[in-house]
Amino acid sequence: MNESAVSFSAVEKTYKRPRLLGARYHTAIKDLSFEIPRGEVTGLLGLNGAGKTTIMKLLTGLLFPTAGSVKVFGSAPTGRSAKARIGFLPELPYFPPQIKPCDALAYYGRLSGLSGPGLSLAVENAVERTGLGPHTDKRVAEFSKGMLQRLGLAQALLHDPELLVLDEPVSGLDPLAIHDIRGLLAGIHDGGRTIFLSSHSISEVEKLCDRVLIIVKGRLAVTVNRSGWESRPGGLEAIFVEAVR
Amino acid sequence: MMKFLRLSLAVTIDSFFESSRNRFFTIFSVFACAAIYASLLAGIMAVDQEARVITDFGLALIELVTLAYTLFYSSSVLLREAETKTIYLVFSRPVPRGVYLAGKLAGIMLTAAVMLAGMGIIHAALLALRGFRPPQFYVWALAGSFLKLAVITAIAFLVSLFSTSAVSTMVISGILWTAGHFASEVRFMTEHSTGAAAWALRPALWLIPNFQLFNARDAAGAIGVLPAAAFTAAAAWTLAAYLCSLWLISRKEF
Amino acid sequence: MLRRSGPYLVAAALLAWCAGGALSGASYVSRFPPPSEIHVPAQGAAGDMFALAFGARRLFADLWFIRLMQYYGTSEFCAKQLTEEDYERCEEGMYFGKGKYLEFFSRARHVMELDPGFASAGLYAATSLAFNMERPEEAEELLRYAIKYSPREWKYLTLLAAIGYSKAQDPAAVASAITPLLGDPDCPVMVKQLAAFLNKKVGNYPAAAAIYADIAATSRDAAYVANARRELKKISKRISHR
Repeated sequence: MNESAVSFSAVEKTYKRPRLLGARYHTAIKDLSFEIPRGEVTGLLGLNGAGKTTIMKLLTGLLFPTAGSVKVFGSAPTGRSAKARIGFLPELPYFPPQIKPCDALAYYGRLSGLSGPGLSLAVENAVERTGLGPHTDKRVAEFSKGMLQRLGLAQALLHDPELLVLDEPVSGLDPLAIHDIRGLLAGIHDGGRTIFLSSHSISEVEKLCDRVLIIVKGRLAVTVNRSGWESRPGGLEAIFVEAVR
Repeated sequence: MMKFLRLSLAVTIDSFFESSRNRFFTIFSVFACAAIYASLLAGIMAVDQEARVITDFGLALIELVTLAYTLFYSSSVLLREAETKTIYLVFSRPVPRGVYLAGKLAGIMLTAAVMLAGMGIIHAALLALRGFRPPQFYVWALAGSFLKLAVITAIAFLVSLFSTSAVSTMVISGILWTAGHFASEVRFMTEHSTGAAAWALRPALWLIPNFQLFNARDAAGAIGVLPAAAFTAAAAWTLAAYLCSLWLISRKEF
Repeated sequence: MLRRSGPYLVAAALLAWCAGGALSGASYVSRFPPPSEIHVPAQGAAGDMFALAFGARRLFADLWFIRLMQYYGTSEFCAKQLTEEDYERCEEGMYFGKGKYLEFFSRARHVMELDPGFASAGLYAATSLAFNMERPEEAEELLRYAIKYSPREWKYLTLLAAIGYSKAQDPAAVASAITPLLGDPDCPVMVKQLAAFLNKKVGNYPAAAAIYADIAATSRDAAYVANARRELKKISKRISHR
């Protein structure tokens, strides 16, 4: 069965904010339906507050849909089987400052079900792939923003997940770091993994993705694949600007 | 089952090291040692009752300092992990929320046990320095303190899951702590009240955990040891708070 | 699945909580006086609230006992305005224990209200009342109150018997009655000193000397140790002159 990696079907997410009298409701996502085939790199573009992070959290089981259904490899995202196949990098990941990177990775590796020599090997591989090798003796407090982002990526790669969910993976990084991470993600994609990433950077999404979803005020405005934006004058930026205006 | 135990153990160990790395842990520990040393002064004032006064001061301070730290930490840990998004890295993994919660709770209890044991050893050394031996009920007093702390920590976790701030969690937990020591007084008032007052007080007998049950320190000389019911009651109250916390965290979105 | 099992979790939690409450209700017996019997002397209410709120009754009983000893150790005579001669005598401790100490009983009873098992305090206070201040009725009332909440405490009964003998003007019987107290670690040095004094009074010098020697070796109160050493010298002179 060649199931999709991710499937959103008429998904709605409404946030409830309790007030002194009653509550305030805000619908972040309305009637959202899309699929991400296996092995594809899909980008998610949208303005601030469009609902990108909400979508990321829905498919990692951190949020529950108000309506509709979300499936990850055919299972509910809150289930253990789905979570075992996902690697998630949130925006601006946090690690305890006194800890060393290998200790942090070992902890998250254990939480992913790794142990013994398998865990040590996974930590070593993750450190090497993300270029953290020269920094293993430093504490997290001494890390730059780029190194923190690499560490965040490393914890997402530990258990060799089939689906990588990356929320703003290159946010705030210098061009060299961006280049390195782009290379890393390309290598992961070449290995047959599925990547779903959100970003503000249209140029990065253009370079990495096979297909892009543009979210406007919680609704899927446009779905465009590489051939679509490459053949369009102005490229993906023009399509994006037209969609959000 | 083994997998869950391994996961829980990983969270427990991480929680323990994280709490002991917290700078407030060092501050509280230094304060505790200074306060225990200061109990020597009170002992000197008591002349021939020096042993008793040093013991009572020390045990009370050990319990209060450990309470302050564990309440401070347990009131803020879940809130902080949600705010810093650390919890995203945990719950996006195949870690059952109940296992995570159990691990966090066990980690804080382990911290409390280590604090009680460490300060107890320092206190016993001070007693020895003054030429006294710790009394027979000493270990039971520390064990009773641990049981109290286990229950109040579980309650603090529960409150932190629906409270809006760490401060309000600490205040509510602190109120329950003091109320728990008034169990005998509440029982007395219930027995001597009539009508609406009695009906209003009766639920308090069931709702407020009786911390006097664990107070081997104050009961020294009368029983000196903790009854088996104390351990079972502590386990029951801790389990109840844990199950309620599990219900809340299973519905919680991050 | 966990989200759907909410009602069962809450029900199980309530069951566990009630089980804890039931266990506690069935097994806990308070050994302390009820709140209606706590009569707080002046300037003590806030401290007592802390004592109850933090489960530190024993600690606050200790503090009240220290305050009792300080109260009794301060000569009421010396607390007033004095002539220079009287001031010097106060400094030398001549007027130690001199005074009516009207608050002594209420303060001592308060220590017992907080911790009826504080045997040393009970014995100290009752001995002071009965044998120093000659108020045996108050001493008996204090001991009876302590026995009510600490019925297994044999030392209170022993001292009660000794007070009875004292009222019958029988110092030998008093000395004999309080002898079992002397070997107990809770025995206040004041009781030992009383026993030594009574033994000396009835001519039992070896017994008196043994008690004074014990006081000199074990007490941490410099005044009692100094007095014990003085008495030992007197007794040894008396024995050697025979």
